[in-house]
Amino acid sequence: MTRKQRRLTLIGVTGAVLAISLGLVLFAMRDTIVFFRAPSDIAAQGVDEGVRFRLGGLVEDGSIRRETGQIHYFRVTDGGASIEVRYQGLLPDLFREGQGVVTEGAVDGSGLFRADTVLARHDENYMPREVADALKAQGLWQHGDPAPGTQ
Amino acid sequence: MRSRRRGSGSTGIRRPARNERIRGRADGIGRGGQLLIEAGHFALALALGLSVIQMVVPFWGARTNDPVLMGVGAPAAIGVFALVLFSFGVLTYAYVTSDFSLMNVYANSHSQKPMIYKVTGVWGNHEGSMLLWILILALFGALVAIARNAVPPKLRANTIAVQGSVTIAFLLFMLLTSNPFERIDPAPFEGRDLNPILQDIGLAIHPPLLYIGYVGFSITFAFAMAALIEGKIDAVWARAVRPWTLGAWLFLTLGISMGSYWAYYELGWGGWWFWDPVENASLLPWILGTALIHSTVVMEKRDALKIWTILLAILTFSLSLMGTFLVRSGVLTSVHAFAVDPDRGVYILAILVFFIGGSLALFAWRAPLLRQGGIFAPVSREGALVVNNLFLATACATVLIGTLYPLALEAVTGAKISVGPPFFNATFVPLMVPLLLLLPFGQVMAWKRGDMNGVAQRLAGAILISVVLTVIIYGFTYGGPVAAPLGVGLGIFLIVGSFNEIVTRSFTSGSGFRDAMRKARGLPRSTWGTVTAHAGVGVMVIGIAATAWSTERIVTMRPGDVQHVGGAYSVRLDSVFPRTGPNFQEDVARMTVFRGDRAIGQEETSKRFFPARNMPTTQAGLHTVGFSQVYLSFGEPQPDGSLGLRLYYKPLILLIWIGTLFMGLGAGIAMSDRRFRVGAPVRAKRDESASGTAPAPAE
Amino acid sequence: MSIWILFILMTAATIMAVLWPLSRPRTAFGPTSAGEGERLFYEEQLQEIDRDLARGMFSPEEAASAKAEAARRLIRADARREAGDKSLDEPALRRRRATSALALSAIPLVALAIYGAQGSPEMPGQPLSERMQPMTAGSELDMDQAVARIESHLQQNPEDGQGWEVIAPVYVRMGRFDDAAAAYQRALRYLGEDADRLANFGEALVMASEGIVSSSAREAFEGALEHDSRHPKARFFLATAAQQDGDEDVALDRYRSLLADSAPDAPWVEVVRRRIANLEGADAPPADAGDAAGAGAIAGMVSGLAERLASEGGSADEWGRLVRSYAVLGQETRAAEALADARRALAGDSEAIAHVEDVAREAGIDRE
Repeated sequence: MTRKQRRLTLIGVTGAVLAISLGLVLFAMRDTIVFFRAPSDIAAQGVDEGVRFRLGGLVEDGSIRRETGQIHYFRVTDGGASIEVRYQGLLPDLFREGQGVVTEGAVDGSGLFRADTVLARHDENYMPREVADALKAQGLWQHGDPAPGTQ
Repeated sequence: MRSRRRGSGSTGIRRPARNERIRGRADGIGRGGQLLIEAGHFALALALGLSVIQMVVPFWGARTNDPVLMGVGAPAAIGVFALVLFSFGVLTYAYVTSDFSLMNVYANSHSQKPMIYKVTGVWGNHEGSMLLWILILALFGALVAIARNAVPPKLRANTIAVQGSVTIAFLLFMLLTSNPFERIDPAPFEGRDLNPILQDIGLAIHPPLLYIGYVGFSITFAFAMAALIEGKIDAVWARAVRPWTLGAWLFLTLGISMGSYWAYYELGWGGWWFWDPVENASLLPWILGTALIHSTVVMEKRDALKIWTILLAILTFSLSLMGTFLVRSGVLTSVHAFAVDPDRGVYILAILVFFIGGSLALFAWRAPLLRQGGIFAPVSREGALVVNNLFLATACATVLIGTLYPLALEAVTGAKISVGPPFFNATFVPLMVPLLLLLPFGQVMAWKRGDMNGVAQRLAGAILISVVLTVIIYGFTYGGPVAAPLGVGLGIFLIVGSFNEIVTRSFTSGSGFRDAMRKARGLPRSTWGTVTAHAGVGVMVIGIAATAWSTERIVTMRPGDVQHVGGAYSVRLDSVFPRTGPNFQEDVARMTVFRGDRAIGQEETSKRFFPARNMPTTQAGLHTVGFSQVYLSFGEPQPDGSLGLRLYYKPLILLIWIGTLFMGLGAGIAMSDRRFRVGAPVRAKRDESASGTAPAPAE
Repeated sequence: MSIWILFILMTAATIMAVLWPLSRPRTAFGPTSAGEGERLFYEEQLQEIDRDLARGMFSPEEAASAKAEAARRLIRADARREAGDKSLDEPALRRRRATSALALSAIPLVALAIYGAQGSPEMPGQPLSERMQPMTAGSELDMDQAVARIESHLQQNPEDGQGWEVIAPVYVRMGRFDDAAAAYQRALRYLGEDADRLANFGEALVMASEGIVSSSAREAFEGALEHDSRHPKARFFLATAAQQDGDEDVALDRYRSLLADSAPDAPWVEVVRRRIANLEGADAPPADAGDAAGAGAIAGMVSGLAERLASEGGSADEWGRLVRSYAVLGQETRAAEALADARRALAGDSEAIAHVEDVAREAGIDRE
């Protein structure tokens, strides 16, 4: 095998692996990425039934209802609009009224957001980044103290 | 107040107004230790001055081929380390004695904190962790200076000089934007922070391990820069670099592993890796570091892959720097946090641009000068290691894309997206599976030109064993997830394939067992290290694959209720009661774990509330049986008076971390290889009987 | 030992770390010459190839060619070794001198520049245990200690509303208005709301924002009025709020009704009268800062003045005013301290010192 052939082999293998990984990345980007939306975005633009996205905002005061079977209803608001969310399961430690929250799921036919994931962070100062931005867009939250929750 | 205050790690801290004068108070205080704090501060300033010498003089000496000037590098590096160590000791002393005249201590400590957390609190905040970072940086510089392995003097001098330049950058950053020695006058009488989540021993020792790993790669980087400056890079270089790379990788592995275990038991979600950007920031240099370890083998043995190895060394440290930047600048928490404290973020960004851009420019300029090394056929040990590097580098790129794409997209279009575990599972995992499948093949391949048939023969036993075991496991778990037995089979293949090397090298037909043992002992330590680390990968893969069998149940229980968890295990809720801890109140659920009908233990899970921080945490209850765990997590009380709970059965989960321990152990064994330890090969021959007395380079 | 002597010693030791190797004939570091280590490395590599061959890591013919490659590098390394290194010659000596000069200048300069900008050489270390011991200093220190004790108690028992209620006015007196507001807020949370507590909370907020009645402060005062519609402090600050908003009619109404409801000897009557006068008389001089926000704000203003004088210094008149203010507030220790500070600050200007001392004598602060 000549030097040239060796080099071609190397380039060929490299190219193949890179092409495969590029394909994987593009494929995964299309299917696994979820967008973040705030209640006002949805009120303004509407959203298709069944499309998964992340909904973030504050848990509206007095909106939490619990039913047996660990079913929770609450409203997520960003000051401009609010959306009713249904979630079955255990809520995270820092889920509270008036606190920032990010939920993931999709809207059903009746306009109810059916969440299968509810995220809140383990730090009382932490505001999920998207939520902070959305609230700022609505003028609800001043950037005073973003405590980085890391380290 | 003398010094300027900048936003420190915690928020809402206010200094008291200065009208409470305490002039003359000093007269009443004993003189001991009075000057210590400022001496610690001054030591840092001196360290900066000495780093300038450490950078300039050895470099000049190497240019002019002057051994005396080159010799200045070593004591300078040691001096910088001594000064920074002193400074770090002073800061620790300030924490231990609760000297709240330091802004940093005031903001991050409290006189009532347990002693251990006073000490770990030193690096539990931005300023202190930067000092720790610099301490480790200086430590590595000093270690290079005193290591007595065969490093050509010019290479050593240039390496020390480059390390000095990195030290300068970070010392300046710390002194100018995050100085841990800022004072408050008058000093408050009590500190502000008692963050409960940082008061966990796992989280307390995780950052130092991670930092040793991150910063350890600065040595590889400095060696690469030195080689480029000198324009000479060869197998000798690779041997000089290898122990450092192994050491850095060892600590990074342990640091990541510990962080993962902490998340597993502390966050109460039962997950062990979340593909969180902070986690990715540490994984990225780890992946490239792994590639670097393998490519330096090729370089050391065969003088090939030089340019690629240099590039890897640069990129690995660049990713370490980027990880620091991402975590420290606050970009990950919020793009806007960057703007809140711009000089800090901008400065780190400038360091990043300078070192990454500068090193890549130097690389582009000098790399073409490097002489082509040894040649090899595509099917060969070298070829296998190239494939390893190819897959690892590609995998690193996909993780990098997944981590940075959301930030880039938001910066450009404003659209906010989340790239979560599904993305990484769909890109990273498919790249890892073929790599791991090929691993045992590469391990038995000969250098220069391999022989596929011979390799297949040597591995036949290992392949047979793993296929048979996979089929058996599949049969036993029929109906369960298919991926799990396949993954376990892959893990078994890796373990058997690794030890296969020892076995086939030692046992030759006709020779007895004793003879084989003697041969096995005679194998170089680096071979044993390779085998151990690769088997560790296999153990980890089994643990990961077995997570497909784990079960999660969300239930509501009343005292006396029994619920099935998974496997043969079930739990009974015995009682729920409140309890008061030192600085928290908790609701505790006491539960009995059953295997079949037999009670095998009692566990508690609780929800703690820390009133000082208005902050709840969940303490999971873990019952370990062999390598498996029953994981109980306190949920919330239900409206009907019952208690919500998460119950997990995690078969073989501990193998994930045990596997990483074996990987680290393997790196440690390889580091202890005689070739890295001894001063010079000739001395090794002379001292063979007394080997082990020579100082190790990086321990 | 002065801290500067210590610094000089540290600097000298650091410079020695550089000068010491320069003074030695051959370096103790860097054990081998350039080519030597490499030659040894390649010799060992040749042996290693043999061992690998024995273990089947090389096919025999490949081992032969690998050895040839290694041997070629060995020869190159040997050639480099022949070239040898330079010994001590004239330029080398010059380089050493330059290095010494660099070490002697760069290290102290860099260290001083950085430390000079960032350091606080006059500050001693203050470990808590030493500070907690009873000391010679006066009552003020005892107050600090008391505050520290209460604070540490509250850290342990953050739900002790009574504790917060106790420490809040202390904070006000110390000028820590933000802390005072936070303490009142907690007291409100744990003890419930009443008119006094809400009004005090509002007052702390006002002082924290330098006399401005913010919207949250106004909410607090309005809350206080819900509990007690005649609460004078709340009414006073709501009137102030209206005045600050430029709503002079409302402000006047509120001041007048407050005045009408007040006993003639109430402490705020004087201030309220003056404000009414100011609002009524178009050409009356602007309200003196001293009565801007009642007695509480006087303390705030005094502390502001003290702070400014301590950091920037000031005229004899200002020092005199500070001394008198403390005396009027009954804080005689502080007044004495302020007098001592003034003596220090105005040292050299005997006329000014005499003036301040006159003021102190008039105010009854007359020691020495």
